[in-house]
Amino acid sequence: MDKELRQRIFDAILVPVLAVLSGLLVAAILVLFTDTPPLQAYRTLFSSGFGCHELTRCAFFTTLERATPLILTGLSAVIAFRSGIFSIGQEGQMLMGSIIAAWLGYAIALPPVIHPIFIMLVAMAAGAAYGWLPGVLKVKLGVNEIISTIVMNSIAILFIEYVVNFPLRADRGSVARSPTILESAQLATFLPGSKWGVGFVIAIGVAVITLIYLWRLTPGYEQRMAGQSLRFALFGGIPSDRAAIRAMLLSGAVSGLAGAIEVLGVHHRILQGFSVGLGFDGLSVAILGQSHPVGVVIVAILFAGVRLGAQLGLQIQEGIPRELGGSIIALMILFVAARKLYQDNIDAIRRFIDRVRGRDSVGEKA
Amino acid sequence: MGNFTDILTFQLLNSGIRLATPIILAALGGALCNRAGVLNLALEGKMLLGAFLAIVVAFYVGNTYIGIVIAMMAGGLLGLLFAFLYHRYEVDLIILAIALNMLILELTVYFMRVLFGQVGSWSDPSIQRVPDIQIPVLKNIPVLGDILNGYNFIVYFSWFAAIALYFILFHTKFGRHVRAVGENKEAAETVGINSRRVQTFALVISGMLAAMGGAFLSVGHLKLFTRNMSNGRGWTAITAALFGFNHPIATFFTGLFFGFADAFAVRIQNVTDLPPNLAQLIPHFTTLVVLVLVALREKVGQMLARRRFQTQLQSPQTSPEGATSPASGTD
Amino acid sequence: MALALEMKGITKYFPSSDVLANNNVDFTVEAGEVHALVGENGAGKTTLMNILYGLVKPDSGEIFLDGNKVSIGHPDDAIRLGIGMVHQHFKLVPSFTVAQNIMLGIEPSTFGVLRQRDENEAVARLAEQYGLPVDPTAHVRDLPVGMQQRVEILKVLQREAKILILDEPTAVLTPQEVGELIRIVRNLSKLGYTIIFITHKLVEVMHVADRVSVMRGGRMMGTKKVSDTSIPELARMMVGREVILQLEKPEARPGEVVFEAKDVTVASASGVPAVLNLSLQVREGEILGVAGVSGNGQTELVEAIAGMRPLDGGKLYFLGKEINRLDVYQRRHLGMAHIPEDRIQVGLNLEANLDENLIVSRYKLPRFNRMGFLLRRAIRDFSASIIEKFSIAGARPGGSIATLSGGNMQKVVVGRELSGNPKFIIANQPTRGLDVGSIEFVHQTLLDARAEGAGILLVSVELDEIMSLSDRIVVLYRGQIQGELDAATATEEEIGILMAGGTLQETARSMKAAAS
Repeated sequence: MDKELRQRIFDAILVPVLAVLSGLLVAAILVLFTDTPPLQAYRTLFSSGFGCHELTRCAFFTTLERATPLILTGLSAVIAFRSGIFSIGQEGQMLMGSIIAAWLGYAIALPPVIHPIFIMLVAMAAGAAYGWLPGVLKVKLGVNEIISTIVMNSIAILFIEYVVNFPLRADRGSVARSPTILESAQLATFLPGSKWGVGFVIAIGVAVITLIYLWRLTPGYEQRMAGQSLRFALFGGIPSDRAAIRAMLLSGAVSGLAGAIEVLGVHHRILQGFSVGLGFDGLSVAILGQSHPVGVVIVAILFAGVRLGAQLGLQIQEGIPRELGGSIIALMILFVAARKLYQDNIDAIRRFIDRVRGRDSVGEKA
Repeated sequence: MGNFTDILTFQLLNSGIRLATPIILAALGGALCNRAGVLNLALEGKMLLGAFLAIVVAFYVGNTYIGIVIAMMAGGLLGLLFAFLYHRYEVDLIILAIALNMLILELTVYFMRVLFGQVGSWSDPSIQRVPDIQIPVLKNIPVLGDILNGYNFIVYFSWFAAIALYFILFHTKFGRHVRAVGENKEAAETVGINSRRVQTFALVISGMLAAMGGAFLSVGHLKLFTRNMSNGRGWTAITAALFGFNHPIATFFTGLFFGFADAFAVRIQNVTDLPPNLAQLIPHFTTLVVLVLVALREKVGQMLARRRFQTQLQSPQTSPEGATSPASGTD
Repeated sequence: MALALEMKGITKYFPSSDVLANNNVDFTVEAGEVHALVGENGAGKTTLMNILYGLVKPDSGEIFLDGNKVSIGHPDDAIRLGIGMVHQHFKLVPSFTVAQNIMLGIEPSTFGVLRQRDENEAVARLAEQYGLPVDPTAHVRDLPVGMQQRVEILKVLQREAKILILDEPTAVLTPQEVGELIRIVRNLSKLGYTIIFITHKLVEVMHVADRVSVMRGGRMMGTKKVSDTSIPELARMMVGREVILQLEKPEARPGEVVFEAKDVTVASASGVPAVLNLSLQVREGEILGVAGVSGNGQTELVEAIAGMRPLDGGKLYFLGKEINRLDVYQRRHLGMAHIPEDRIQVGLNLEANLDENLIVSRYKLPRFNRMGFLLRRAIRDFSASIIEKFSIAGARPGGSIATLSGGNMQKVVVGRELSGNPKFIIANQPTRGLDVGSIEFVHQTLLDARAEGAGILLVSVELDEIMSLSDRIVVLYRGQIQGELDAATATEEEIGILMAGGTLQETARSMKAAAS
């Protein structure tokens, strides 16, 4: 039984690991367009993304800080995927959470601890509402959720630009921004000089809750069964419509929380160009993380490190555009899509090993 | 006074037609793919790739037309890659499209930085915009000339493409095979139609059309490239194709509709003090509403069928024989 | 008469399902005859024909056409050699016209541009030539099933086939359409075409065929001239299943009515009534068999009773209480069990593990659920007990079910459905595609449940299954009950005629005819 579990875990991580390696390999070609040798570029990328020389200037802590929203948006995608809804709406839901957080952060005064908790709850409600709409449209009318969530992302991106430029604009500075949130609303950090803090703990907590929710709780069971086989759900009396809408509400809430934590823990305001694709990255995190909370946490940290390494290491030290980081991530997802490419070869390798070992496959079957 | 409003109206029509062009081109490609039974969600990425390659090649070669041709070839190649991965490795087309859209978004900026050291947008004075065409007789006809004259060849090509695609799909042997494959692949294959070839063709052509739409953005409408220049038009195109029943002519008009929504947003910005971001929301809201309308259209159809069935049951003269025989139900 | 086709020593083994579908089969067809190929589901008829049509590659064996050895690796080869097949599930494009479907792939064109008028004329000519009138410009989606089949036949004729394979051509037809089809087939045979007519309905064989070959369990049981044989003889050759006879079926002791359907009407997906004003009752401790050709409303009736499909009229009563408004879960909760016809798509979720499959429709019970938390240990124990009680080979609690054999998958379904001592069991095709051992197991389990007082609604297209298990039999035809019979006295022929839309009077007449 232990062996079987090991086999299952091996199978689950094999494709992502191969996809990561293939992505890095192909991205090396892109580096050839610059003056830096690929190996050196990767060394810089990883040491600036995951290195830790001294406690006060530890890149890895920054990576964990950057991973926080990715973990949450990744979990948000997982919750939707696991109920059979291919929601791409994390970006928009997150931005809605951010807007609410930035506003409530200065507009109301509450005692410390209570203030951020209140804001996070309201932001979750905003994200949930933004997830609810495509969910209902999908379930009740059959509107393709991929297209509807993409469009709603665009709407949210324009809306937040409007909000920072007009109603919430703090000053006449060249970059439009909202006022700084009150200190009572800010989330604590662990180390001076770093934004890595309580938000990360919340994200890990949400990952654990998601794990329990999906695999130990009744609604999670309903969601997964409906997501895996609608006809089975119908046959077994599982309310799949309700499960799908609930999934979109929860998915939206988690993304909304991601948006709130970005504001309360990192930026303390929203500003022009606030949408940097954390929601889209969360989607990729979920895909590469095999739609599993544990995979999401690992991949989120990996992606955050690659992005950070590309920004601080590649762009600043080597002069290689930071978009290489995003390209690497996209390539990895590309290779996940083509998983059969590996599976064919894995099977061929297995057959080869069997032959070398001289196993009689016919005898084995009998 | 009357003249003044006239000019404004023509301007609105003109810019609507221009802004519709990239959407129409990509939507025609999307409609073709839907007809052939392959979902193409990578129109956005292919469009952005087209926009980037067209202007970059135009810059290096010094000829805009070559830039457009290269962009289209790249879009076609990407379609070929899609078809290959789909048929040979059974890739998930949705995830593939998501990855590709993201990859192209990152890569275009990457190369904009590597090649030109620019981040947000890039242009060069040496680049020539595709010139507008004055059509001899048409330009002198009063109203019609004002509306239909003076666009560049890509705009006219998009009109031609809609008609050509209609002709191919509904009046040629190959087009009929495309529709057969999309509607019942098994039926097509049992009579010896090569469904892979048909779907590959659809993906390649749609890649080329989307790339051409992108090229229109960078060297046809403006002459610069900006980060994420396609800005959701690929997704709008998919909606336009759905809205137009994947029929080339209907899709042309739905694409035109979205172009006017775009133009209207620009116009609103100019004539009112509505904040630009809110005006830009108009086309996106339109897309969302259209999506809902498309879904409602089907839902209502089903509901009506059910209603008909139930009233038919209640009518007293319905004999079991009559109701159960499909022949009497449909004649 | 010359042999048009000779198949020699055809053997085909499917490793994935471990089925020897064709076991050294010899099959010969004379030129110009109508040759019926009969056998139960799973007897190997379709595999044999798929080999002939190039869809399946045999492990061994040879095929001769007009005395010449041929190799058929692809349907294209078969078409070139003059073999045409009308599939049971039509291969038509619904939005295309009749002419467009018939000419698909061989359209008349000039430089690739279609000549639609030529196309329509060619089809009109073809239709006239064979006396099969069709409207070339009608859309196939608007045509009744019999007409669609005619289009398929014309499609094959247009491709100049000499040998026509008709795979279960009457399965979806009304009696009038069947009569018309038989006329068409006889006429084609007169014109010199060779026709292989696959069916399991013996009455039709007697009407349409010159000779008949019977298959059973992958073997060819023999070939007879229709004029030299009878329905009872063919039935014996075809069924001959010993398993059934071994079942011990104690006397039924029917009690109270557990389930009742009153004037039930259900629309199918296309809005045509699939079930019309149907009424039936099931009592405690009895098995009501619902016989019928598939596609006569069985699926819709079962789904409506189980709560998976809305009713368009009528009422359902369970234990004396109206249940129209109850959802699937509530109906299950009251003691309704459901063995669906499709275990892989409907009855099981192959992506989920055994435990998750077993708790569906009971996951809210306090036994498995405390305040929303699923009780893993209790579920695991339950899983283990089902595995043990139903001896499900290869299964373990929490393990995968996708790797189980078909028989063991069905044991998972049956085990789950019968474990809560249900009062009413819907069993829809409970043995479809199973091996003999598993069939016996399922049958015995159902009889045990009956002995414990459950009322069972057994829906099956397998006549022998209906006959060996049921206490009463109703025959479903075009969504209505065509007749009811006492299982103790009913014969296969009687049921067969009702299944084909005949009446009880006709049944009596045909019995006399068959006997003489």
